[in-house]
Formats: sequence, structure tokens, C-alpha cells
Amino acid sequence: MSARELIANDPTWLSLVKAVLVFALLLVITILLIWFERRVLGRMQQRPGPNRVGPFGLLQTVADALKLAFKEDIRPKLADNWVYFLAPAISAGAAFLAFSVIPLGGQVNLFGYQTSLQLADMPVSLLVVLACSSVGVYGIVLGGWSSGSPYPLLGALRSAAQVISYEIAMGLSFVAVILFAGSLSTGDIVDAQGQGGVWYAFLLPVSFVIYVISMVGETNRAPFDLAEAESELIGGYHTEYSSIKFAMFFLGEYVNMVTVSAVATTLFLGGWHAPFWLGGVGGGVLNTGWWPLLWFLLKVVFMLFIFVWLRGALPRMRYDQFMKLGWKVLVPVNLVWIVAVVAVRTMRNTGVGTAQLLTIIGIVVVVVLAIVLLLPNRPAASDVEEVPVTGGDHPLPPLDLEVPKVPKRKPVAAAPAPELSAEEEGVPDGRA
Amino acid sequence: MEYVPILLLFVLGFGFAVFSVTIAEVTGPRRFNKAKQEGYECGIEPSPQPVVGGGRMPVAYYLTAMLFILFDIEMVFLYPFAVTADALGVFGLVEIVLFIATVAFAYAYVWRRGGLDWN
Amino acid sequence: MTTPASLPDIDYAGVAPVLIILGAACIGVLLEAFVPRSQRWAVQVVLSLLAIVVAAIALGAYLYTGPQNTSTFAGSIALDRPALFLWGTLLALGLGSILLIADRVVEPGGAFVAQAGIRPGTMLDKEQANRSSMQTEVFPLALFSLAGMMIFCSANDLLSMFVALEVLSLPLYLMCGLARRRRLLSQEAAVKYFLLGAFASAFFLYGVALLYGYANSVKLADIANAAGGTNRSDALLFLGMGLLLIGLLFKGSVGPFHTWTPDVYQGAPTPMTAFMGACTKVAAFGAILRVLMVAFGSTHWEWQTIMWVVAGISMLLGAILGITQTDVKRMIAYSSVAHAGFLLVGVLALDGSGIRATLFYLISYGFTTIAAFGVVSLVRDGTGESTSLSSWAGLGKRSPLLAGIFTFLLLALAGIPLTSGFVSKFVVFAAGMSAGITPLVVLGLIASTIAAFFYLRVIVLMYFSEPAADGPTVTLPGMYTTAAITLGTLVTLLLGVYPSFMLDWAGTGGFVV
Repeated sequence: MSARELIANDPTWLSLVKAVLVFALLLVITILLIWFERRVLGRMQQRPGPNRVGPFGLLQTVADALKLAFKEDIRPKLADNWVYFLAPAISAGAAFLAFSVIPLGGQVNLFGYQTSLQLADMPVSLLVVLACSSVGVYGIVLGGWSSGSPYPLLGALRSAAQVISYEIAMGLSFVAVILFAGSLSTGDIVDAQGQGGVWYAFLLPVSFVIYVISMVGETNRAPFDLAEAESELIGGYHTEYSSIKFAMFFLGEYVNMVTVSAVATTLFLGGWHAPFWLGGVGGGVLNTGWWPLLWFLLKVVFMLFIFVWLRGALPRMRYDQFMKLGWKVLVPVNLVWIVAVVAVRTMRNTGVGTAQLLTIIGIVVVVVLAIVLLLPNRPAASDVEEVPVTGGDHPLPPLDLEVPKVPKRKPVAAAPAPELSAEEEGVPDGRA
Repeated sequence: MEYVPILLLFVLGFGFAVFSVTIAEVTGPRRFNKAKQEGYECGIEPSPQPVVGGGRMPVAYYLTAMLFILFDIEMVFLYPFAVTADALGVFGLVEIVLFIATVAFAYAYVWRRGGLDWN
Repeated sequence: MTTPASLPDIDYAGVAPVLIILGAACIGVLLEAFVPRSQRWAVQVVLSLLAIVVAAIALGAYLYTGPQNTSTFAGSIALDRPALFLWGTLLALGLGSILLIADRVVEPGGAFVAQAGIRPGTMLDKEQANRSSMQTEVFPLALFSLAGMMIFCSANDLLSMFVALEVLSLPLYLMCGLARRRRLLSQEAAVKYFLLGAFASAFFLYGVALLYGYANSVKLADIANAAGGTNRSDALLFLGMGLLLIGLLFKGSVGPFHTWTPDVYQGAPTPMTAFMGACTKVAAFGAILRVLMVAFGSTHWEWQTIMWVVAGISMLLGAILGITQTDVKRMIAYSSVAHAGFLLVGVLALDGSGIRATLFYLISYGFTTIAAFGVVSLVRDGTGESTSLSSWAGLGKRSPLLAGIFTFLLLALAGIPLTSGFVSKFVVFAAGMSAGITPLVVLGLIASTIAAFFYLRVIVLMYFSEPAADGPTVTLPGMYTTAAITLGTLVTLLLGVYPSFMLDWAGTGGFVV
């Protein structure tokens, strides 16, 4: 029986139990993740990281969360009350949702029921994942907008533009996976990578790399954490938030990290299947019962480690570079890759042999290379008609502005009036 | 019925979030201070805001949003294609290449006209 | 898991005209991206005209080989006689509109703005008003719109029709806002058109949803079958039909859904007004004809009274409000509302002679409109076109030729014999009479008499008033506008004195189910 059929047989109470388990799992992982991140970052920066609260500082996050709960809840005067109140709830609540379609394991016996370790599965599970990740953007935008303050608004706009830009790359990187699995159901995709199948990370490396890049962009994490660039935008969209509301945004961000890692695991890293040769040990015993949960969690932790590693290793990108990477690199590469994958697969299906296929691919590569090499390498003529998209009519000082020298002040004895006029002259005219 | 479990998780997740946000009103201290309720602008006097959320926003964000819709729809079309690609065979390949090429025209246009540039 | 998909048969020869126009539009977008600014205009004009001519040749070739009166794309696109006739009409009118759009002599640089991104009223704006370039995206946009119209009037299922509706509308909304002069007015027109058009599209879509709920299909034939053979609740059917028709009547600027028409006609750049006035009307009425006859023909007893009322309101509204107008473009807009009412008379005949009359009316009205707006674009003063009626006073003394042509076109719009307007009104009313909607025909005659008043008023103004000292001048048209005006005027004359061949073409067949 496929995972979907098993889940369809679940009585509602079992679904409820599973939902509570998933919810609890996410909370625990989040708590541990924050500790994990701070410890690993600490190591990378030659310092111990949190080590006071509980063994190895494990309870640090709990302490922080409790502390936040007893902080004053400030609401700016200009804030839009209801939206300001709802935004953090949307941000955190939506983050949990996508996890409902992630397969945590195979068939198990839960309270006497044969079921699959997955809360829900349907023929369109991947769309659910995308839909839930889009809903999270509302939390960000509404939070920034409702604060009634310029920095959060700018942060929210940036953040929203960033998330939707990278959602394109993310969604397109799913296409090749769907093509190979022949289904949008997460359960089917994991099955297709099981028993003798190859992990799609190895089969479709381009898709995997694009997904990993875009999942970092999608979650607003370093090096793409432009929405909360402290040096430019203070805290980004949650500048005005304090107390538990701030904690909810924080929670949403970390739950999102876990979710996208879990999606990566499901789509590209074989889901709950035992890694490498371990699946063959003992006639596949490691792929049955509760073992898969272990493999799944290990893979998720691996992806989370990549998040932390990136944060520790890379400086923040500039916004224009970031958008350029998303729109001008990831999207076209993705589209070309999809066409290539579809073409190769169709040719294989229609009975074109490997040798012929390789020949065709070779010819295509040579032609493309030839075109690229033969193209005249002239600098792109600047389009004089181009309207600057940002900036508009705001008076900007010229780049080569020379600040006029302040004339030397007269000695103390001088009358106050000329001194004042001297100061006025000294003010550089921004509109020059 | 397939969606009931998602609904359950939704209730749990949002319930938790809304509950937490609500109790923050009770648990936290209340010490009134006028400055606290101003918008935060690094300590300087907040610039006047015409309405909640401020006035206008750069048009580039609208452009990004429109491009997102364009490509999002492309993406959504590609999904059902990918599911049935094997059954469609060569016909499907030709059609999808045409489809992607059509979107690529618009993409090339936007790129050349600077719609993807930020400054 | 994977069931073998059944691939639809596609009659490539039949749909070639549409594919050619769409392909040319795509190439046009690429040209915009890669051709240097200075050469774009020339390249785009050549491409657009060539595309229309080639599409017309493809259409002719298909007609020559003897069309099968079939439908293609799994029944979504009808290739029947009315559809092919409308395609020919659209291509011909599209050619005229492209000629008007391409003109750069009347208004130095063209009627379209050089750079739409500049804010109106700024220094940059004044500078660009004098620049001799234009936003050449207009050409691919017009082609997209034209292709959308072609699909719109041949779509045999409601979803294709909706997609075509959007393809034809979105470029129109955009192009309305691209006038070189009076940009705020133009942009206001674009926004109005967009908002109201979006509402109309929503109505249309809601109607489609309800009809799908009723018939479990979006195909027109299935809806007709469902309506004919069952005892299902008719509420869904007629609610859906009503909403659907609101969307369609909006596009055809039929009163009382005409409110956008005067503002948009006035604000849009004049070549665009000509395009909208001629081609959109053809597409919209093509679709109305098909929907009413194919999908709802079997239930016409139930709804035709309401449509009679709509047609009557449209005729009277257009004719009476037209009298009060002081602006030429607005006047023609109201006249188009009245004409929409007359067209509905032909549609509501719901038989072969009705189809014939409506198709003939569409082609003759379209050519007259294009020529009329071509003339309107020539009367100018320092600030651009001078469309106020008072400034047209005494035009007959200043420019007898132009005034003569405009007089002829106005007489055609009024329906005076020896013009195509007379023949088209005659066949439409004859079809109405034979179908037994005499009261509507009488109302139509009254409305045309009222409408004739305001056409004649302009003529009187042109010939029997003294020209104002600081009145507008008549610009010598360039090659393109001359061609468009000549084309429109000649066709108006030809169809007025020798209409039978066109009537024969228009009457060769009905709709494929």
C-alpha cells in the first residue's frame, strides 16, 4: 500500500495525534536548532557559545523564550492594531503548515494502526508546500506595513520581493523532480527514490543546487538576510515588535528553516530512506519501522548545518547582486535545465540509444559553445530611453560633488552677524 | 477528507501562535512612555507619516511582483506537464519548448529593458 | 498512473492566420529587446504590415481550398464561415489601424508617447513631447490584441473565449494610456478602461462558472444541449448567461454597459480609438452572435425580451446623449453606442439573415470608423488634436476636401443612401422585421433619426459657419494616414453602391456547433 492509501485510512483521532506529534517535533527541533546554531557559530568564531543554562547550554533557548514572554509588549502609536496583532501569528502559524505533507518515515504501527509516518498526503502535496511558503510572506509584509514606521516597511518590501523572487527559482527546481517521479505527491516522490532508485540530488544536481540556494533566499537567512540588514534597516520588518510577538517572527523563521530542509530531504535526499549502502544492511531492515525517522532527522540536521555554515562563512550580499543572482542566473539556468532534462528523457523514452543520445548532447553542446564563442564581444550599448526604476525624481547630489570649503572663521572678536552668514555659505547645496 | 489533517495542524499552529500573542498582553509589564510608542528611527524624531504604513513605495517592487506572477503561472503550468510528460512524448516536448520560448521572449524583453536591474 | 493522453487534431492551415499574427507579435517583442532604438519603428511597421498581409493570404488560401466548416483544437476554435469572415474583417480593419498607428507625419513622432515611464507635466515630459520617436511596443501589442480578437470571435468554448478576451483587452488597456499629448487624460482613460474592463471580465468569468455548474461543460454546444434536454433548474443557466452577456456587452460598448466608452474614446490616442472602435466592436459582436445563437439559441423565448430592451436602451442612449456632446471623439463614441444597439437588432434576429446583416454591418461600420478617426487626427492646433466641435466651425471653407470626406463618413454613420451605412442599416432592420421584432425596428428608425441630427449638426457647422480666427489647422497627412483614410472611405463608398458581393460573402453559412 502506498503512503497515501495508508494515510487515507487514518481515523481522525489518529490524525490529531500525528498533528500534535508533528507540532511538538517542530517546536523541539526549533529549540534545539537555535542552540545548535549558536554553538556551531561559536565554534566557527573561536568561542564557546551558550554553555551556562542546562547541560551544554541546551536550555538557553527555553530561557530566552520565557524571558521574552515577560517583556513589555509595545505597540507603536501609528500601528494598525489588528494587522499588527495578526502578522506575527500568521508568520508563525503558516510556517508549521508546510510540514504536514512531509513524510517522516515509512509504514509503522501507531496505537495498533498500520499507518505511515506522515500527517497528510495528496496528489498535489508539492503545491501545498508552495502555497504554505507563500502564506508566510503575508506575515512579513503585513508586519512591516502595519508598524507605521519607515524602516519596517522598507524591510518588509525588500523581504517580500526577495521571497517571491526566490520562490520562482525554488518552484522551477521542483519541475525536474516531478518529471522523474511522475507525481506531485511527496510520498510518491520519496518512494521513487527508494528501492534501487537514485537520490535526485545526484540525478538532478542542477536542480538540487538551485533549490539549496533558493531555500536560503526564501527563508531570509544569511548571506541573503537583506531584510534585516542591521546596518541599513535596523531589524527589518520586525523592528517595532517586542515581547512574544517578536518571538513569533523568530519562531516562524526557524520553523521555516526546518521545513525547507525537510522539503530538500524529501525531494532530493531520498526522504526517510537509509543513506547509501545502509539500506541494504540486513535485507533492508533499516528502512522499516521507526528507523526511517532517524535517517530523516539526520538528513534534516545535515541541511540545517549547511544553513549555519553559510551564515558563519559568508558575508551578506548586496541587494542588487542578490536580485541579479535570482532573476538573471537561477531562473534562466533553471529553464534551460528543465528543457534539457525533458528532452533527454523524451528521447530515452522514444528509444534513442545511449550512444546516439550522447552524440546529440555533444552536438548541442558544441553548437552552443560555438555560438557563445563566435558572438561578438561588444559592450552592451546603454539604452538611453531606459527609465531608472528606482530613484525617480528625487533630487540627488551629483556624484562628483565638491563640498565648498568653509571659509575660515574670523577671530573671536568678530560680530555675530557675519559669522552666521559664513556658516550659511558653508552648507553644501544638495540640489546643485 | 485528505485535507483534514492539514486543518488540524493549522488549528494547532495558528492556535498556538494566536494564544502566545494574546497572552503577551497579560504577562508583560506595562510602563507607559511616550517615546516608546513612536516609530523607531534610531533615536531621532520620527518623520511624519501620512497614513499607516507610509506613503508610496518604489515602483520596482511592483515590477517584481508582476514578474513574479508571470513566472509563477509559468511554473504552475509546468507542474501538470511534468506529471504527464512521459505520456505526452515528443508532442509534449515540442509544446513545452514552445511554451518556455514564449515566456523567454518576455523575459528577454524585460532583461534588455532593465526590468531586472536594481540600483 | 500515466494514461496515454489523447492529442487534439489541429487544422494548422485553418488557424494559420491567428498563428501568424501571434508569432509576429512574439517576434515584435524580441525586436523591441534587441533592435537598436533608432531602427525599431521601421522594423516594427514592416513586420506588422507584413504579418497582416501574410495572415490574409493564409486565410485566402484556406478559403480557396474549401473550408470544411469544422472546428479544431478539440472543438475549441470554430472554423466556420462567420468566423472566417470575421477574421478577414479583423485583418482588414487591423491593417487600417496599423497604418494609422504607424503615421509619424501628422503628429511629429507619432501619436504615441516617446517614453511612457516619464511622469506627465515634468520637464522631461516636455522634452519627450518633441522627440521624434515613439513607444514602438505599440505594434506588437496591437498584434497581440488583434490575435486575441480573432480567437475571441471564433472560440467555441467559454474558457478559450475568456483567454482571448484577456489577450485582446490587456494590450488595449495599456495602449489607451500612451497618448503623446494630454497624457493625464490618456492615463485616466486607461485606468478607467482597465478597472471597468476588469469588472466586466470578472462578470464574464463568474458567468462561465455558473454555466459550468449548469451544463458541466464550458463548450457552447454542450450548454445548448443541456438547456434543451433537461428539467434542471434554469436559475443557474440564466444567471450565468446574464453575467456572461454583461461581460460581452461591455466589450461591445452596448448601453447601458457603455459608460467607459466616451471617456476612453476621448482620452486614448486617436489611432487607438480607431482600433478600439472598429476591431473591438467586430470581435465583441462576433462573440455575442456566436454565444447567443449556438449556446442559447434553443432557449431564446426566455431571454429575448430582455435583450430587446437592452438593444432599445442602447440605441436611445447613444442617440440622445450624442446630441449633447461638444467633442468630436465623444460624439463618435456615443454614436458607437447607438450603432451597437442597431447591431443587436441584427443579432436578435437569431437566424441566417441576422448573421448576414450583422457581419455586413460590422465590416462597413468598422471601415467608416477608421476613416473618421483618421480625419479627426488631422484637425489640429498648437496643443495637439482639436476635437472640440466649436473649433471645427467653417472647416469646409478651409479644407474642402477634408470636410467633404468627413461629411461623407458622417452621412455613412447616419445611414444615408449610397453609403455603406444605409445598406447595413437596411439589412439589419430587414432581418429584424422578418424575425418579427418590429417594435425594436421602429425604435431603431426613431433612434437613427435622432442620431442623424447630431451628424448633420457637424456638417452644418463645417459648411455654414465662419471659421474662427485662431481655429485649428488641417495637417497634411502622411502616407500612412492617407492610405488609411482612403481605404476606409473607398470601402464605405463601395459597400454603399455595390454591396451585393459582400452580402453574399457574409451570408454563406452559419455557425458550426
